[in-house]
Amino acid sequence: MRTIRSAFCTFALLVLAAMAGTPAVAQGNPIKIGAILPLTGSGASYGVWMKGGAEMAAEEINAAGGIAGHKLEVIYEDHAADASKAVNAMRRLVEVEKVPFSLTSYSAPTLAIQPIAAQSKVVIMNGGGQSDNLADKDYLYNNIPVVSNEVGVIAEWLAKDRNLKSAVLIVANDEAGRNSAKTFRERYGAAGGKVLAEEQVALDGTDFRAQLAKLKARGGDLLYISSYGRNVSIIADQARELGMTIPLAGTSWVLVPETFKSKGAEGMLVTKLPFDPSSAFAKKFKDKYKTDAGFFAVQYYTATRIFAKAAEEAMKKHGGALTGEGVKDAIESIRAFDTISGKLVFQANHGAVMDIEVGALKGGKVAVDKIIKAAH
Amino acid sequence: MTAYLAHFLVMVAIYSILALSLNLLIGFSGIFSLAHAAIYGIGAYASALAALKLGVGFWGGMAIAAAVGALASALVAIPSLRVAGDYYVVASFGLQVVMLAVFMNWTDLTNGHAGLPGIPRPNLLGWSIDQPFEYVFLAGFFALLTWAICRRLTDSAFGRVLQAIRDDEIAAQAMGKNVVLVKIVVACISSALGATAGSLYAHYITYINPSSFALHESIFIATLVILGGSERLTGPVIGAFVLLAIPEALKFLAIPDAVAAPMRQIIYGALLVLFMLVRPEGILGRARARPR
Amino acid sequence: MDLLLQLAATGLVVGSLYALCALGWGLIYGTTLHFHVAHGAVFTLAAYYAYVAQKLLALPLVVAIAVAIIAAALSGILIDLLVYQPLERRGALRTTLFIASLGLLTLIENLLAVVFTPDPLRMDIGWLSGPVQLGPVFLTRLHLVSVATAAAGYFALMAFLKHTRWGQAIRAVSSSPDMARTVGIDLRRAHLLTYAVGSAITAPAGILIAMDVGVEPYRGTTFVLLASVAVIMGGIGSIPGAMLGALFLALLENLGVWKIPSEWQSTISFGVFLVFIVLRPRGIFGRKIQSAEI
Repeated sequence: MRTIRSAFCTFALLVLAAMAGTPAVAQGNPIKIGAILPLTGSGASYGVWMKGGAEMAAEEINAAGGIAGHKLEVIYEDHAADASKAVNAMRRLVEVEKVPFSLTSYSAPTLAIQPIAAQSKVVIMNGGGQSDNLADKDYLYNNIPVVSNEVGVIAEWLAKDRNLKSAVLIVANDEAGRNSAKTFRERYGAAGGKVLAEEQVALDGTDFRAQLAKLKARGGDLLYISSYGRNVSIIADQARELGMTIPLAGTSWVLVPETFKSKGAEGMLVTKLPFDPSSAFAKKFKDKYKTDAGFFAVQYYTATRIFAKAAEEAMKKHGGALTGEGVKDAIESIRAFDTISGKLVFQANHGAVMDIEVGALKGGKVAVDKIIKAAH
Repeated sequence: MTAYLAHFLVMVAIYSILALSLNLLIGFSGIFSLAHAAIYGIGAYASALAALKLGVGFWGGMAIAAAVGALASALVAIPSLRVAGDYYVVASFGLQVVMLAVFMNWTDLTNGHAGLPGIPRPNLLGWSIDQPFEYVFLAGFFALLTWAICRRLTDSAFGRVLQAIRDDEIAAQAMGKNVVLVKIVVACISSALGATAGSLYAHYITYINPSSFALHESIFIATLVILGGSERLTGPVIGAFVLLAIPEALKFLAIPDAVAAPMRQIIYGALLVLFMLVRPEGILGRARARPR
Repeated sequence: MDLLLQLAATGLVVGSLYALCALGWGLIYGTTLHFHVAHGAVFTLAAYYAYVAQKLLALPLVVAIAVAIIAAALSGILIDLLVYQPLERRGALRTTLFIASLGLLTLIENLLAVVFTPDPLRMDIGWLSGPVQLGPVFLTRLHLVSVATAAAGYFALMAFLKHTRWGQAIRAVSSSPDMARTVGIDLRRAHLLTYAVGSAITAPAGILIAMDVGVEPYRGTTFVLLASVAVIMGGIGSIPGAMLGALFLALLENLGVWKIPSEWQSTISFGVFLVFIVLRPRGIFGRKIQSAEI
C-alpha cells in the first residue's frame, strides 16, 4: 500500500535528518568525560558502586568550582559485561562527544577499547578490571593492582599458612577469569600446591552442577573460585548442595552483596583490598544511595578525582585547552596522587600497588587474618 | 554529527548484504534459516584471524571468509536439506548454537569471550580506509555488488528453478530438477555473501567478540528480510534501513540503556506478528492473492 | 563411578523438564502442524505467573503453581485464537505462521525482561530445597518432584488421549484432519483444546526450573528448540517418542560432559541431531515421511 511505503520513507528521512543535524559538541564549557560501567547484568552490583563513586566525586568537584572554572559532566554508558557494547560506547564517546578521558571497567571491555583509546589519544582509567594483560598499555591507566598481586598472596597463604595443598578450580570463561586462573596455577604451584582439575562456567549462568560434580569427583583440599559477580554465590550454594564440604577461596572480586548473603559462601577464604566501611566517604555514600559502599565506590571516586587534578594541570600547561594527550602527560608528570585511601603512585607499567588483606568470610564480613604490605 | 550519520550508513550497508544474502534462502528458495548470524560470525572471525595471525590483507581476508562461510553451510545443508523445511529450521538453529559455542570456547583460535581487538582497517593500494565516510563508500560498494550478484542469480535460469522449488517443490522434482543440489548451492552462495558482511564488520569496528553473533542477531536479520519484503531485491535493503533507524529514533526518547535493548526486540517482535497478520509480503512485496 | 551416577541423576532431572516441554510441543505440532516456537514463551510465562502469584499476590506455593498452570493453558489458547487461527483463515503459508510465532516469542520474552528485568528472580520453595542423598548421588527434593511430575504428566497425557472423548478427537485430528472433519469434529475447537493441553503439560517444567535456579526471561527459546529436536528424534506424532527423545537428549548432554569439557555441552545435542536426521530422519517411532511432506 502506498501509505505504508510513504510512512516508512518519511520516518526514515526524519531520522536521517536528525542524525545529520545534531550539532557538534560545543567546546569550552562543560568538560565531558565518559564512564563505561557494568550498569546492568551479572555485575550490576559493582555498577552501583562505580557509578556512585564517580557521581559523588563529580558533584564535589563541581561544588568547589569545577575544573579551572568548567563544570565536569560524566556520561555514563552500560557495557553489561559485553565488550562489544563497550566498544560501541567508546566510539560514541570519542567520535561524537569528543571526550579526552573515560573511566572504564572489567578486563575484556577495557582491553577491547584500549586500541581505540591509543589511536584517538583518549586516556582511559580502569578502577576495577584486574587481568594482568591490562598492564603496560598505551593510554590505559589502572588505579587497581592487577590480579596477580592478590592471587599470589592467596595462593601462598592457602598452600603454606592453611596447609591446603591441592585445589580444584572453577573459572569464569572470560578474560579476567581465565587470566586469574592461569596466575593461580603458577603461584600455587610455586608455593607447593597442586591443581587437580579445572572447569569453566559462564558469568551469567545459573546452573553449574555438572561442572561442580566433575570437580567433586577429583577431590582436593579446596575449591578456588576464579569468578566474580552474581555467579559466585550460586557456585557456593550449588557446591554445598552437591555435598562438597571442602573450603572455598577467591580474591576480592567475589565480595559482592549476593556472596555476603549466601549460606554456602560462609567461611570462604578471601583476599581483600583496603576499604574502611566507617570512613566519612562510606557514610556519605550510604546516606546518598541507601546501600553500603564498597571498595569499588572508592576506586571510581578516586579515579574521577585523579582526572580532575590531571586536567587542571593539563589546562594550565596548554593555555586552557584540554586534550587526551595533555591529560596523559599530566598523569605521567604528577605520578603520585593524594587520595582518600592514602597516596596512590602509578608505576611504570601504568598500574598501582596496594596492601592486601587475607581472611575468611564470616557473617557477611571479612575476618582479616593477615595483611601483606605493598612494595612501592 | 556527520560521523554518526556515516556510521549509520555503514551499518545499513552491512546489514543490507546480510539481508540480501538471507533473502536468497527465505524469499527465493523458501528455506528458513536461523543461522545467518553464525555465518556472519564465521566471516568476521575468518577475516580477522587471517589479518591478525597470518597478516593477510582485507581483500584476501574477505575471500577466505566467503570460502569458509560456504563450507560451513555446506556441512549443515547437506544432511538437513535432504529431508524437509522444518528440519532445516531446527538444524540451522543447531548450527547457530554450535558456532557460538565454538566462538566462545575454542579460545586458542578465537580468544573466546575476550574477543579479537586491534583488527586492521582495510588498505587499498597503500591508501588506508580510515575515515568513517571512506568506509561508507567501501561498504556501499560491496552492498551494491551483492545486490548485483543476487539480481543476476534470481533473474537467471537458476533463479527460476529456485522459485519453482519455493512454489511447489514436488512439481519441480517431478520435472527432473535436482532439488537437493540446487538448495545446497543456494545455501552456499548465501553464506559466502553473508560471510563477506562479517569481514566488512570486523575491519570496520576493529573488534569482534562472540556476543555479536548470537541467535537474536539471526532473528534480527530474518526480520529485516521479512519486513522489507522478500520477493523483491530492494525489500531487504529497505528493511535494513528502517529497522536500523528504529533504535536511533528510540534514542531521542531518552530511554535508559538497560531497557532500550529489550525494547528494540519488542518492537521487532511486534512488527513481525503484525506484518504476518496484515501484510505478510512485507513493505515492498506484491500483495498475494488471498484465498478465502 | 560416583560421578557417572551423579551425572546420570542430573540427566534424569533435566530430562524430565525436557520431556514435559517435548510432550506439549510435540502434541501441538503433531496435531496442528504449527511450528509453535512461541511455546517457549508459554514455558517462560508459566514461571512468571507462578512468581507473581507467590510473591506479589502472596498465595501459598501450591496454589500459585496451580494458578500458573491454568494461566499458561489460557495463554496457549489465546495465541492460537488471536494469531494462528486468523492466519489460517487468510490462507497463510506455514512459514508465515512460523515467523509470527517467532515474533511472538521475541515480543513476549523481551516484554518480560522490561517489566521484571533480565536478572533471575528467586521464588520461595521452602522444604523443597532440602537435600536428598541416594547413595553417592546428591539431589534436592525439588529434583525428585520434577521427575515425578514428568512421569505423572506422561501417564496422564496417554490416558487422556486413549480414554477420553476429547483425547480421541485430538488423535483423530492428528492422524488425519480431513477424516476428522468428516466425522464431525470441529477442527477449531480441537486445536484450542490441543493448545490448552499442550501448554498445561509444559507449564510445570517452566515453573520447576524457575523454582530451582530462578525465573529468567530468555530460557524458553533454548527449551523449545531442544523440545523440537527431541520430538523429531522421537518421531513426529508419537508421544512415547517425544518422551524418549527428551530423556535420551538430556542423558546424552549430561553424561557427555563426563569426558567432554562442560562448555561444549550444547554442541552434543545438535551433533547428535544432525547424525540422526542423516541416518533415520523419521525418528525412533515416527511415520515414514516423504521428503517434502513437512
